[in-house]
Amino acid sequence: MTKPSLASLTALYVKIGNTTFGGGDPTMGLLQRELIARQWITREDFALAYSLARVTPGTNVLAFCAATAGRVLGLAGALAAVLAVTAPSAILAVLLTRGFETWRTHPLAMAAIGGTVAAVSGMMWASVWSLIKPYLGLRALLFSGGAFLAAWKFHVTPVPVIVVAALGGYFWTEKK
Amino acid sequence: MNVFLLYALLLKATMTSFSGLASLPMVRNDLVVDRKVLTDRQLNTAVVAGRTGPGPNGLYLVSVGYYADGLPGAAAGLLALMTPAFLILPMMRWLGRRAESPRVKSAIRAVVLASAGLLLSASLPLARDAITGPVTLGIVVLSFGLLVLTKIDTLWVVLSGALIGLLAKSI
Repeated sequence: MTKPSLASLTALYVKIGNTTFGGGDPTMGLLQRELIARQWITREDFALAYSLARVTPGTNVLAFCAATAGRVLGLAGALAAVLAVTAPSAILAVLLTRGFETWRTHPLAMAAIGGTVAAVSGMMWASVWSLIKPYLGLRALLFSGGAFLAAWKFHVTPVPVIVVAALGGYFWTEKK
Repeated sequence: MNVFLLYALLLKATMTSFSGLASLPMVRNDLVVDRKVLTDRQLNTAVVAGRTGPGPNGLYLVSVGYYADGLPGAAAGLLALMTPAFLILPMMRWLGRRAESPRVKSAIRAVVLASAGLLLSASLPLARDAITGPVTLGIVVLSFGLLVLTKIDTLWVVLSGALIGLLAKSI
């Protein structure tokens, strides 16, 4: 394995993290190719980072970046990689938010923003479907349906719903 | 809003979710319903801003923070987005492949499924705010259908929504 400088490691994460659309999977796929081709991590390191990122709270791709860059250059690498992937896109998100608020007084801009907001509503329902789809069955019905009812009908806040679900899942393991 | 409290609330949301928008129900509950520092419209716009550009899916938290407390709030949102990622470092070192335990995996899957139910519940008031007529209803249905049935990037769906809204207004 070769050890790059902090600057070259950061440059790779800036490039891939801020030019890849479509969420975490394309970003992780591109990083895998680059990191292994440059011999900065092994395939085993990648597999471990990929699987642990799935069980780390928060945004999976950021955990993956912290894990892989941490493998290469320790804590400094992890910090640099997570900042590299998030900071430039975060600045863009703030600029877009300001833009949306400024344009809100213009009728045509409002129509365009209304269209994007409607598209995001459909996107949220598609996200719900993508979360449930891999686990369709009785467990999905009980955990998703139960959580929906608890929040929608009985106004239970999310934390107790998540705690109950985690406990339920822990003690009710799936049969293979 | 106090920036430290904002960070703590957003961190609570990211630490209890396992994918992009799964933190949204908690954010809505804390900032829209309980503390009223954000409206459903602003939360919707924050999600749009987070999904229009490149970068990780949870970026909407930066826009949420910006709405709640300007640039310091945006920084708090960014930090809340980044913080949970570092949990993986001790996990890589000490946990390794033991995280593959069937009970742990089953608990996480249950949380993912519950998150779906919570996200559906949180999305209904946002949809009520977004659907203002037949055109926006059509965009919601089209967006859902395209994202479920094809592998189209969300950026194109968001931009198409804007274009349809613009064309409908012009006509």
